[in-house]
Amino acid sequence: MVAIVERLTGVLTLVALAVAVVGLVVLVRGRVPRWLSDVALPLATAIAVTATVGSLFMSEVAGYPPCELCWYQRIAMYPLVVVLGIAAWRRDPQVWRTAVPIAAIGTLFSAWHVAIERRPALGGMCDPAAPCSLRWVEEFGILTLPMMAGIGFLAIIVLSLVGRNTPAPTPDEDEMTDAADPLGSTRPE
Amino acid sequence: MGSTSRPSTAPKGRPNPRAEAKRAAERRQRIVMVAAGIGVLLIAIVIAVLSAGESGSALSTSDVARDVQVRGDALPVLEGDPAADPAVGDAAPVVRGEDFDGTPVEIGAPGRAQLVTFMASWCPACQQELPEVTAWIEDGRLPAEVDLIAVATSLDAGRPNWPPQDWFEEVGFPGPVLVDDTRSTVASTYGLPATPYWVAIDADGRIVARNAGMIPMAQLDALAQTLAAG
Repeated sequence: MVAIVERLTGVLTLVALAVAVVGLVVLVRGRVPRWLSDVALPLATAIAVTATVGSLFMSEVAGYPPCELCWYQRIAMYPLVVVLGIAAWRRDPQVWRTAVPIAAIGTLFSAWHVAIERRPALGGMCDPAAPCSLRWVEEFGILTLPMMAGIGFLAIIVLSLVGRNTPAPTPDEDEMTDAADPLGSTRPE
Repeated sequence: MGSTSRPSTAPKGRPNPRAEAKRAAERRQRIVMVAAGIGVLLIAIVIAVLSAGESGSALSTSDVARDVQVRGDALPVLEGDPAADPAVGDAAPVVRGEDFDGTPVEIGAPGRAQLVTFMASWCPACQQELPEVTAWIEDGRLPAEVDLIAVATSLDAGRPNWPPQDWFEEVGFPGPVLVDDTRSTVASTYGLPATPYWVAIDADGRIVARNAGMIPMAQLDALAQTLAAG
């Protein structure tokens, strides 16, 4: 069971990587197709949810204790579920201003964690309880947990930027939303 | 993006055909999105189920662990600067146990100077250091007056690179290996904070130095020469 879930997270990470590459190419070319900007924020939310559920599975079911650097990455990833989820629901193209800095911080911690995994001398020692250098999972010979997290963060950054072109809700949807919003809060355009 | 300020073209209460058509198109798009997402997830699950394989040794932690007997007071956990280690000069606890094959191994007893290295097979830093130490010994840099003993500790069958005896054999470590018990009694008795962990004990059974983490081989040379000089 654990081996299957580990492999599944590896496969989904490759999917996220492919999505990030496609998104990056689109951003560099400067022409974001409407369908892609429509799905960008829901996809980013799905990646954050998958990463969150995956990390909880690894610690609570598989029994891999999260190390200090794992916690910093969790601190960055978990709020993105809420931030991106609400933005995807409200089709808020401005969410990149919040999501990108959080994901960028998470990416830095992932990069340092991967470096310690690859070069144990950087850390120099192993905490017997929760060592950061230990590779609990290594799918396809390269995808460790921090590397999966890092790819997730990068995909979220790219998709948040692609989602800048998300069309704002139509007036009719505005009316529907406003009816359910007694405070009449404004939505960024 | 300025469409939010545009008034609706249809009076309230009446159906707006354009808005209805747009909503229907968006509903279709959402259905396609969800279906595509479910499709990707299903394909990923199928790949995972077909390609994942359970691996691991049949040996449990208790199969590998050995009983140990401790005589003497435990050392405090090494914290901060090793140069200010309060355990230096203290009598080393005497630990009697076994190698993987049942051969008796003892550390801390007076008689000969000892370099004791605590290694965890799952620890990447240990995985890097044990071959370096093995090469150091094979190069003849261990003085004849000093014994080098490894302690296989923090045993955990759920972690990578299990079982540890296979690892020691693959590396070709020549010295004796004292195998810790399931509660890592030897490690806690010697105040281990992290692996790899080194303890230098002189011929009188007194602690000369302790060090947590990888150490350069030049430093190991100096430590060994200090022990050899008495």
